[in-house]
Amino acid sequence: MMEQLIEILEDIQPDADYETCTTLIDDHILDSLSILSLVAELEDAFDVTIPTVEIIPANFNSAQAMMAMINRLLEEE
Amino acid sequence: MKSYCSLGYLGIFLPIAVIGYAFLPKKYRWMFLLLCSYAFFWMLSKKLLIYILISTIAIHYIGIWLGFIQKERDEKLSTVERGEKKAIRLQYQKKQRLVLAAAICFHIGLLVLLKYSPFLAKNVQSLLTMLNVPLKIKIPKFALPIGLSFYTLQAVSYMIDVYRGTIKPDQNLGRLALYMCFFPSLMEGPICRYAQTANQLYSGEAVTYHNLTYGSQRILYGLFKKIVIADRLNLLIKSVFSDFIQYDGTVMLVGAVLYTCQLYMEFSGTMDVVIGSAEIFDIHLPENFQRPFFSKTISEFWQRWHITLGLWFKDYIFYPVSMSKRMKKLTMNARKKLGNHYGPLLAGSIALFCVWICNGLWHGSGWNYIFFGLYHFFLILSGSILEPTIRRITDALHIKRDSKGYHLLQIGKTTIFVIIGELFFRANGLTAGLAMFKKILTEFSLSSFVDGTLLNLGMDLYDYVVVLLAVLLVLAMSILKEKGISIRDMVASKPIYVRWAIYYSIIMLIIIFGAYGEGYAPIDPIYANF
Repeated sequence: MMEQLIEILEDIQPDADYETCTTLIDDHILDSLSILSLVAELEDAFDVTIPTVEIIPANFNSAQAMMAMINRLLEEE
Repeated sequence: MKSYCSLGYLGIFLPIAVIGYAFLPKKYRWMFLLLCSYAFFWMLSKKLLIYILISTIAIHYIGIWLGFIQKERDEKLSTVERGEKKAIRLQYQKKQRLVLAAAICFHIGLLVLLKYSPFLAKNVQSLLTMLNVPLKIKIPKFALPIGLSFYTLQAVSYMIDVYRGTIKPDQNLGRLALYMCFFPSLMEGPICRYAQTANQLYSGEAVTYHNLTYGSQRILYGLFKKIVIADRLNLLIKSVFSDFIQYDGTVMLVGAVLYTCQLYMEFSGTMDVVIGSAEIFDIHLPENFQRPFFSKTISEFWQRWHITLGLWFKDYIFYPVSMSKRMKKLTMNARKKLGNHYGPLLAGSIALFCVWICNGLWHGSGWNYIFFGLYHFFLILSGSILEPTIRRITDALHIKRDSKGYHLLQIGKTTIFVIIGELFFRANGLTAGLAMFKKILTEFSLSSFVDGTLLNLGMDLYDYVVVLLAVLLVLAMSILKEKGISIRDMVASKPIYVRWAIYYSIIMLIIIFGAYGEGYAPIDPIYANF
């Protein structure tokens, strides 16, 4: 799953090291337009619904945080 | 007591509230704050108090209803297999949405009826006249309760947050009532979220020396901005905007620049008084300004100006629209065809359009406010569209985008766009705004700066010098704050005699250079009218 997530991220914004970066939002690597694309792609790829309340920097600052959010949402479903 | 900067509020109402609150036992303090808040409302809007009472009771029971549906859903979910859970969630989501939609329609409907029905009726009448339909529409006129636009947004945010499950419905009507009408933020915001302030308001923390001095510092700074700068500029701005026909483009430009300055000083100064008042009770309201005139883009400007309104629109309009199922589909399809930048921009711009139409209308019922919203929508959208091109041009010209010079250029450009927007915002209607803007373009003459024209607009040389020095002082404070230096902590670390010397100096500055008394007309709270 992590590999698939990083593939999506690299497709949307190639200029980042998603293995290590933990400041994707704080450092404006992912902007609001990237987030719009990202949420749509993640929902499609992982068959999960990401509600608007989940769109907070803490959930998108790193690939690990995104994965944790997806796993949590899948678990809740 | 027409404003938070009046003697009635700062000299009588607030001290009584602070003393009464401080001497009461902790468990009764929230009741006293609620009593003060309703008294404040009553003094300003009399029997229109009924509106906020209805709103409060409505959101209280709607919250409980939503909570009940959620509880029922959770009980059902705990008894079924994993595969059935999705269907149950959807079934209960529909129920919740129905309740929420009805409640939002009620609140927004009331806002539209009271605030916008005269505007709508006038426009329908104009349309009928244009189409030669012999029908006369009675233009309704309603008295507006104070803070209607602010507390309505708070009410809606509370209900949506309960629906989303980010907060639990409040079973305590008193706490919810205080969240809705806390007197310092009632008239002009900041627009608070339930999770930010409700428990602080209810907890009844003691008034300490620290809170009293920190709150008073903030109030004094706000008064300085309001009385020394905003009120002094009022004479000029009133005459320029009401009699603009007799002036040339130079006067229009000066009027627009000084109005932008006045609006910032008035609104941010009032916010300082509001946040300082709450701080005395150890209540920390969200900030509404973060040095907006250091913004490099219009988008950044709106993240620093009236922050709580911008966040409200982002959380309750931008994301719900841009993240709706249809928009997500549109984003995915458009990204495949238009690429990573322009693909999501399509859905983003639809959501942005909704935000800016609402933002314009929130400020008032008039075509100039709609224009104001669309103007910012256009600027932000074109900024996004042009971004890749600008990057390519600056790269080709070897211009460093993170250099100070480039940043200053961006700040200058943003400030010019803001000033043009505020010209339309203040103008007496859209036609007047367009005429004033046309004058700047066609009747601008440098000679007006030296032939004494600017000294015949209600402000003399002394007024200009006072305003200039005061603005420079605020600018210096803002630069320090932008660099992360806290003036308040610096002052607090000084010995008591230095601290009080500073406080007295500010008080003296306000007394000596404040624009009040004969010949001056203090500006009415601008945002209270929204």
